[in-house]
Amino acid sequence: MLEPPFWTALTLSLEVALTASFVLLLTGVPLAWWLAFRSFPGKALLEAIFLLPLVLPPTVLGFYILLFLGPEGPWRKLTGLSWAFSFEGLVFASVLFSLPFALTAYREAFLALDRNLLEVARTLGVPRGKIWLKVVLPLTWPGLLSGTLLAFAHTLGEFGVVLMVGGSIPGKTQMVSIYLYDLVQALRFREAAEASAVLLLLSLGVLVAVRLLEARGRAWKSTTG
Amino acid sequence: MEVHYRIRRPVALEARFRIQGFTVLLGESGVGKTTLLKALAGLVPAEGRPYGGLPPERRPVGYLPQDLALFPHMTAWENVAFPLAGGNRKARALAFLERVGLEEHAHKRPSQLSGGQKQRVALARALARNPEILLLDEPTSALDPLTKDQVLGELVDLIRREGIPTLAVSHDPTLARMADWLVVMGPGRILQEGPPEEVYSAPKQLLVARLLGYENLLPARVAPGGVEIQGVHLRLPLPPWAQPGEMAWVGIRAEEVIVVRQDRPPPPENILEGVLVSLHPEGLAYRGVFQGSIRLQILLPRHVQARLNLRPGQRLQVVLKPHYLHLMPGEAD
Repeated sequence: MLEPPFWTALTLSLEVALTASFVLLLTGVPLAWWLAFRSFPGKALLEAIFLLPLVLPPTVLGFYILLFLGPEGPWRKLTGLSWAFSFEGLVFASVLFSLPFALTAYREAFLALDRNLLEVARTLGVPRGKIWLKVVLPLTWPGLLSGTLLAFAHTLGEFGVVLMVGGSIPGKTQMVSIYLYDLVQALRFREAAEASAVLLLLSLGVLVAVRLLEARGRAWKSTTG
Repeated sequence: MEVHYRIRRPVALEARFRIQGFTVLLGESGVGKTTLLKALAGLVPAEGRPYGGLPPERRPVGYLPQDLALFPHMTAWENVAFPLAGGNRKARALAFLERVGLEEHAHKRPSQLSGGQKQRVALARALARNPEILLLDEPTSALDPLTKDQVLGELVDLIRREGIPTLAVSHDPTLARMADWLVVMGPGRILQEGPPEEVYSAPKQLLVARLLGYENLLPARVAPGGVEIQGVHLRLPLPPWAQPGEMAWVGIRAEEVIVVRQDRPPPPENILEGVLVSLHPEGLAYRGVFQGSIRLQILLPRHVQARLNLRPGQRLQVVLKPHYLHLMPGEAD
């Protein structure tokens, strides 16, 4: 049977993933909108930087974040906050780590939006807020939500980055993927198998939801033509 | 309403013309028609009158883009209610739909409507915005070719009843014929404007004549009492600008090249002898090529072909009546 430390680690992972997804939704949506519809010098470089966590070894990303958040790092000097080996540090690292996933999905959702609809909406003399509420969100929410779920699932499974930034402090920064690693190190294979099965089902469930949302997004697209 | 706009990008153009009743702006693709329309709606940066400098949401225009851009997730009445503020939005939206004759389709989504119905929903939505002018981008493009003329006629009637000055841009001469005022646009500028019958019968330059479907456009030299085309003298009334020796263009519509009937007294002037090179049916008429000292496209109504029974290869005479010859200034290409 799975022991309480597993559930503690899983709860922590879920909390980190949920918070990071929420932060991504708040910051990633305006950022993706901006990248989708504006052109400016250096845009390609900026987009490449946002995509970097996708190809960088997670330990390299984690190492830089650790330096940034650490006791001698610029974040501490700037804000006075010490986020290394803390919940906040895990969220910060997770946001950066999952940003490419969320950003790409959000941007796709916005690019799939028919520009003519936005232009016509503007000529109809309504406030911008109404255009967002009545046109943009109803047509893009499946894409925005599936991007957020993808980022959530991705955060749930991260290992290298959170190990570097959070360490493995049980009950504080030990996320479920690290807990699993510790089980295997201790040769407790039966418990590791059970923990893995739970994570497998959880991830599968999230991905099924993502696919269903994508199908829903396509349904609107086919009626705009 | 006087329009004067200057646009730099994406197409450089300066346009000065009038919008009067149902106005059609005719031009080939790529001359900047859509850009001009979007500039009037405030969607493309431009300077000029009216509405210069205002953002789109503050311009009292009803803009119908080529694809109509109905909101796909809303029903017809929800689309129409979108620009409405305040109470009773549904009842007011339904009243607009009634004005365009679509009240029974109020609860349908755009995907369930025909091209003509979508167009009227878009019109109702634009009317709900309470516009001073309507802007229509290629209104014929969304329509089924089989019913295009009828649907278009109804739309134009509807717009006339509403009494809102309208600018419709198009490359379709069918629409141009329904206009109260016709504006012809070339690359980056306006070439001619006026009542359609005037523009159609007297294009001021070669480009306009080409756009209005003059099939025969021939370089000519003005001579006393007429013109010389490839050594042939044709008599026609000369406008004051045409001085002998000057280069000009003569435009002749294919349907206005008349085949001479041998059983009738010959016409007094402008007779050409030649051979019928080709002839093939085109709808209910017959289109052919006549080769004499001048090569001409001809279009015969079917009752004429039924009587003459012309065959490719045979010799024939055609007559170019002076008042069907349209003279325009300009050097040869």
